[in-house]
Amino acid sequence: MIRINRLVIGMIFLLTCPTLIMAITKEDIKFQKSTRVVLRKHCVSCHNEADKKAGINLDAFDFVSQIIRRGELFENVIEQSMSGAMPPAGKPRMNVAEMDSLVIGIRRILDEALAQPDPGESIMRRLSHREYTYTIQDLVGVTFDAIGFFPTEGSGGEGFDNQSRVLFITPLMMERYYTAADSIISMASQNINSWNQIFTEDYKPTFFRKLWSSLQKIISNKPIHWEQPRKVAKKILLPFATKAYRRFLSTDEQDQLLDFFEKIYFQNWKDRKAFNKAIQASLKSMLISPHFLYRFEVNLPSEQPYAINNFELATRLSYLLWSSTPDETLLNVAYRENLQDPEVLRREALRLMEDEKFKRFSKSFAPQWLGIEELLHSPKSDPIQFPEMDESLRFAMVQEVVELFQYAFEQRNLISLLDSDYTIINERLAKHYDLIGIKGDHFRPVEHRDNTRGGILGTAAVLTSTSLPLRTSPVLRGQWVLDEILGEPAAPPPPDVPALEVAKSKVHNELDLRALLEQHREAPECSGCHQKMDPLGLSLENFDAIGRWRSHYTDPLMDNPEITISFAPVKIDASGKIDDVKINGPQEMRMYLLSEKDKFAKTFSKKLLSYALGRGVEFLDSPSINQLTETLLVTNFDSQELMIQLILSYPFRHRRSDSALKYLTS
Amino acid sequence: MQGKNRISRRKILKGIGASLSLPFMESLVPSSLYASTLSNSNGPQRFACLFMPNGVNPNKWDPSQSGNELELSPILQPLESFKDRISVFSGLMNKHSISRHDGHYTKTANFLTSMPIERTVDANVNSGGISLDQLMAQSIGKQTIYPSLQYGLDRIRSGVDKAVGFTRLYGGTISWQNASQPCSREIDPRMAFDRLFRNYIPGKPPLKEDPYKKSVLDLVKEDAHQLRKQLGIEDRNKLGEYLEAVRSVEKRLDNQVNLADFEAQITPDIKKELKKMDIRIDEWVEYAEGVDITAKTRLMIDIMVLAFWSDASRIATFMFGNSVSNRNYSFLEGVHAGFHSVSHHRDDPRQLAQYEKINHWHIQQYAYMCERLDNIQEGNHTLLDNSMLLFGSGLRDGNRHSPYNLPIVLAGSAGGKLRTGCYHQYEDKTPLANLYLTMLQAMNIEQDRFADSDGNFRELLV
Repeated sequence: MIRINRLVIGMIFLLTCPTLIMAITKEDIKFQKSTRVVLRKHCVSCHNEADKKAGINLDAFDFVSQIIRRGELFENVIEQSMSGAMPPAGKPRMNVAEMDSLVIGIRRILDEALAQPDPGESIMRRLSHREYTYTIQDLVGVTFDAIGFFPTEGSGGEGFDNQSRVLFITPLMMERYYTAADSIISMASQNINSWNQIFTEDYKPTFFRKLWSSLQKIISNKPIHWEQPRKVAKKILLPFATKAYRRFLSTDEQDQLLDFFEKIYFQNWKDRKAFNKAIQASLKSMLISPHFLYRFEVNLPSEQPYAINNFELATRLSYLLWSSTPDETLLNVAYRENLQDPEVLRREALRLMEDEKFKRFSKSFAPQWLGIEELLHSPKSDPIQFPEMDESLRFAMVQEVVELFQYAFEQRNLISLLDSDYTIINERLAKHYDLIGIKGDHFRPVEHRDNTRGGILGTAAVLTSTSLPLRTSPVLRGQWVLDEILGEPAAPPPPDVPALEVAKSKVHNELDLRALLEQHREAPECSGCHQKMDPLGLSLENFDAIGRWRSHYTDPLMDNPEITISFAPVKIDASGKIDDVKINGPQEMRMYLLSEKDKFAKTFSKKLLSYALGRGVEFLDSPSINQLTETLLVTNFDSQELMIQLILSYPFRHRRSDSALKYLTS
Repeated sequence: MQGKNRISRRKILKGIGASLSLPFMESLVPSSLYASTLSNSNGPQRFACLFMPNGVNPNKWDPSQSGNELELSPILQPLESFKDRISVFSGLMNKHSISRHDGHYTKTANFLTSMPIERTVDANVNSGGISLDQLMAQSIGKQTIYPSLQYGLDRIRSGVDKAVGFTRLYGGTISWQNASQPCSREIDPRMAFDRLFRNYIPGKPPLKEDPYKKSVLDLVKEDAHQLRKQLGIEDRNKLGEYLEAVRSVEKRLDNQVNLADFEAQITPDIKKELKKMDIRIDEWVEYAEGVDITAKTRLMIDIMVLAFWSDASRIATFMFGNSVSNRNYSFLEGVHAGFHSVSHHRDDPRQLAQYEKINHWHIQQYAYMCERLDNIQEGNHTLLDNSMLLFGSGLRDGNRHSPYNLPIVLAGSAGGKLRTGCYHQYEDKTPLANLYLTMLQAMNIEQDRFADSDGNFRELLV
């Protein structure tokens, strides 16, 4: 009875809801009849909406698409079931048939999904503040600090500011966009060089034209109009529009823009500067147009993923490599050749990577990936404890990482990011690192004489960003290595961490900390993560909270200056053990990381893919990620080949249509 | 009955033209007619929320009540001279803050929405619903040029928090225009001030408004409508944001009545203050930017006060910091660490003492805002009387990330609508949304519920 009711309701629902007809497939029915039955019988009693054991609710999955979306979770379901860990002891076991239905059923769903290339979701992206700055620079020739001027924003995906889902436009943003456009165009018009690039022709009506129009006005009182200004304006506005919108404008769009121009022009036609004014207003309108502010891609009503068009691909390419709009050459290639042709695409990618503007990629990607961006905005460290942390030092710190990254890219050797016998610094940083004989503000490669520093883990930027204001934190540093290098983020501490007894030793806070950490590792709920995190962090203890080398703790009780006791320097112990591998100090830690380079390769690939696609990576991206990881490992971390493979990858060149679209257009 | 006879201030303004200076219209209102709507004749109601990250030292927060007298706790001490003008609450919580996902984010982004937060690094940013301030803005915000203001001290932290799987955006946002759209917030005093008052600072030539702004906006709106046709659903939602934003700018441009109203409100007194503020901000930029956080906080507070006073806006939120903020408070005597570090005090008395001092500093700033508002007279009321000034944190004890029994203070009486001077001890797990619902009712915003509310606080209403 109940069954029938459900069926009837289901039918009615299906009949009235066209989008769901699409959603329910044969596969869904098969899943609901077999695998879901087993899930419900054996898993859902604990993993349901209310209990959510281990944070997992397996009761919410009715469609194959949902399983695929949470592919990693279901990989885990398979693993747990096969190993016999689930259902747990004391609960009824699955029989062989049930086990097959669950494991094989899910496996098949996931494998079939992975076999179909899927570019994932691509939502139109608003220009990030950074991209806005560069785009304006390349398009208008004006320097505009968008990061300072626009409201501050968050990031998403793998932690980047260019992720479509977190790029909002709010009323305040719109106000600022308007003001920005206003000042950008007015700045441009005051700079002869940049203005001449845009304002390629001028128009002044003849004396007779003006006289005639004035007379006309008096006689007929009809709106004044003549053709010439529009013709000249067209020559100025259309090339600009093509670059601003990163594509050709349709005739309708052209007309609309020129109509607008005319409207402003003939409102002011008596004015000596009418033409200039109308041009400026038109340019401004383009800078706040959605065509400019968003990088959108045409949504085709297609069930299957499809290749994006040449202009869209050119735009993806230039924003990936230059954080900016395509140049004329690239637009020309998009127009005259087939950019989707791998040979053409590779050629253009290489050209862009050889350009000076490619440095922007390092500047944008590296600090965001490594989480050191905040150093550009504020000192993390305590100003009294570390008075030397002024702006020029902080900027130099970030620049060192950018330079190292850029150099690794140019050398086609990304593994040097983990270990190198050089760094790239200026005088300010050299002083910070106690290196002598380096003069001047420019950054240059400097050989490390000993093995203390090397790679990004030896940079003051990373070491400072992973410290607390007054002292180092081995936990934060360890967690950072797990997150950003090894890609094994630690779980958060359990909700009610039992209060730890503060260790008896009050000699030095850092010593306190070591004892405290040892306690952590004894507590079963903490040991899992801290066993790995702590030794990684402790191996870097020879670097203080702003990344200077120290052999001893010399500063007694930094956190508690009220307590003054005489203090003999304490030698730093930077030793630890990870999975039975002993590491002591930064050099051995780097060796350890090199031994885990496949994990680094995967982490880096994930980050890069997320940055390129403007979204978080998902289960269906795993083929792409595996392919990129493989590229890195096979080519010995060749950055150039990695980039090319990324650009040639399926998700970079394709998009998936918003499936419900066809029901809504018309 | 009442509603029928009442003439809205707006209508009057429209009728008699915009040039008349009408600071709250005392003289025009026959008191008998408005006896029961005292708040109207004594100036409009305002709401501000000051959000503190990282919770409080739980041992030093709770006040007590002896007879009619509120006995303040050490942290609340700076409010001594306002203690009959505030209410302190205990037992309140956002129940959706308890989740499998511990930490700060689920307790920050929903501070004013009281709804569950979607755990995501970006795919589906969702705060569960509109925030209290934005709901108020939808209704009373229409009467001012700026429906609401969002301020803070820090940039939103970049990156995602891998450990818990949240975008840090959640830690930097308490105002939500709707579930999926956070409001932008201003962190720069100069820009915040200039946005509201740039054209009214004595001695500074007003900026020229672009004469073609309206035409330009029309044009890009047309662009957006055409673009829409080529987009899928998700993209249309994004474009919806764009259109909404354009409309709001247009609205401001169109609404000459509000503008004239606002300009009329800029009395010589306010002008004097504007001039002073202008100089103070310059000085701050010159000498204290990036150094003196107390000075910056006070500037932001003063801008909110000026906005309320001049009726540029009636709704504001302010974030002392992003959640998990580890702002270094060593400028306070006896504090030697960042806020977040100290909040994980592990019951160490030395850490707890510092935690308390940092909390105390926040209450000082809150008290400063009370004082500033109280210095401004509106009819028989002060601006403080006309306001609901909420202070709170999404956590209680930072060490335990506890979302129970939140530290909440409310100052002002919403123009005589709310009782003050009491310590309200509610049963554990009482929805914070009950307070929010009560506040909405005090503003005559009719709602049966707000988020997870299961009733209002009748004892709070006059």
